Amino acid sequence: MFDIIFSGLSSIFRYLFILLIYLFMFGIIRLIYLDIKGIKNKEIRGNTYLKLINRKDSLPFKVDEFYSLVSNVTIGRSKNNKIIIKDPYISKKHAKIIKERNQYFIEDLNSANGTFLNSEEIMDAAILKNGDIITIGSINFLFVTEQ
Amino acid sequence: MATRKVNFKRPQNFLFFLNLLSLSLVILYNKSFDRLSVGVVVGLTLTIYISNLLLLKISSGDHYLLQIVSMMMSLGIIMIYRINPELGFTQVIWYVIGIMTFYLTYFIIKKITFWPKCMKLYIGASFLLFLLTLIFGSTIKGATNWIQIRGHTFQPVEVIKILFVFFLASYYVNRNKFENKYILSIIVYLHIGFLFIQKDLGSAMLFYMVFIVIFYVYENDRKFILINIIAAILMAILGYFAFGHVQIRVEAWLNPWSDISGNGYQITQSLFAIAEGGFLGKGIGNGYPSFIPEVQTDFIFSAICEELGILTGIAVIMLFLILIYRGIKISLEQKNQFYRIVALGITLTLGFQTFIILGGVTKLIPLTGITLPFLSYGGSSLVMSFAALGILQVASEYIYSEQEENYEQGTKEDN
Repeated sequence: MFDIIFSGLSSIFRYLFILLIYLFMFGIIRLIYLDIKGIKNKEIRGNTYLKLINRKDSLPFKVDEFYSLVSNVTIGRSKNNKIIIKDPYISKKHAKIIKERNQYFIEDLNSANGTFLNSEEIMDAAILKNGDIITIGSINFLFVTEQ
Repeated sequence: MATRKVNFKRPQNFLFFLNLLSLSLVILYNKSFDRLSVGVVVGLTLTIYISNLLLLKISSGDHYLLQIVSMMMSLGIIMIYRINPELGFTQVIWYVIGIMTFYLTYFIIKKITFWPKCMKLYIGASFLLFLLTLIFGSTIKGATNWIQIRGHTFQPVEVIKILFVFFLASYYVNRNKFENKYILSIIVYLHIGFLFIQKDLGSAMLFYMVFIVIFYVYENDRKFILINIIAAILMAILGYFAFGHVQIRVEAWLNPWSDISGNGYQITQSLFAIAEGGFLGKGIGNGYPSFIPEVQTDFIFSAICEELGILTGIAVIMLFLILIYRGIKISLEQKNQFYRIVALGITLTLGFQTFIILGGVTKLIPLTGITLPFLSYGGSSLVMSFAALGILQVASEYIYSEQEENYEQGTKEDN
């Protein structure tokens, strides 16, 4: 009696197992798909962003192609910055980009090697315009704001 | 709608339910409702779930590897538990040890940075293990590749697999220091020769395949690669005529039906089992997987096909495909040359091992005794597969080069 009930139960459960296994795989493949799609979509991140000018593979440290500037952003080598770049010529807290009344300002945070805007050193803070080139350490960023 | 969203974001939820349901069913089948069995069901399900959550907190690298492997692992344990509850229980213990090895390897490999510098150590350790197997090895199931210590057996070849990948990686990282392709190939062929003496043909084939692919990717001398392939084909033909056990394997592959009660017994029973299962399988407990000799190790795939259907069998193959895809992607994205080659080597090892055994049990290629990674019963195979996965996990992260590290320490004082 037990055997008959069990084999019936088991035959019903096999459908459930196959369903669960395939749902699991669907979940994994979906996550991988989103992961790959996310790499492409990083290019379009808001209207204002920093674009890397250097060739990415010429740099020995990790740096992204694009950094979006949604809110106030700090750049530096230590972990509590928004944009972390492990360039030896960048200070722990190097620079800050602030948004105020639809205008973007860049401020140098007393960095050792300085921050340059269109190859001129910033003394305190400067207004950013579309197409400005920001040099931090050995990295050149293009400031882009699309309106 | 909301629940659906949450579910798809976390595939481990499906895994959780699958484990809970199927293990309960297996317990029902074995009619063992004691505290131990219930403990295994609850404990295993929670261990798998928590270890996956823990990885999200610890590692910044790939989070899919462990999930995929947990799925394979669960299918293996369900099947082994159903075939033999005692072996199933041992397998659960090995799994827990395996997970611990995974995290331990992850931390050790990440902390220590001089891995590319000890090439000679890897070669020495491999040959030491080979010699130990030759001297103290005991013959189990036709192959002399086991070492017995106080009743516990383990297969040194599982450790040598990882040492071999490390050796190849450290050779190609330091290629400008001591590049000599002849010495390299002599060392590799010595590895394969030792495996041949132990009659472990599957591993010999695996080592050769991994070597030839890494050689193909990193060697500049194209003609030498071709010579290697031709020499291997010649050696395989020579081996066929020189060794009786190779001939038996090939004959059992070409026509197992002529000697159905003898040499062809295992492979024909495997084919019957796969055919019996059909698309949806017989259901757990309704088939006869124990008709196949060695069903819990080499022939676990046939047992899965019989009781859970060829759809699950295809799912197993697809899981391995996703795993290999992730491995290759990790290898492509890794900037550090050493970890790049290691990731490629480990992915190749897992991939070819799967191909050799799945091809064997479905009569696509001659059958050679080798375990299906993460699914088969066996302590050393499982633990070392998890160690390999731990190394792959490290390789999936961004690894700071030594120069950067030194600079970090040197400039701690500024501003």
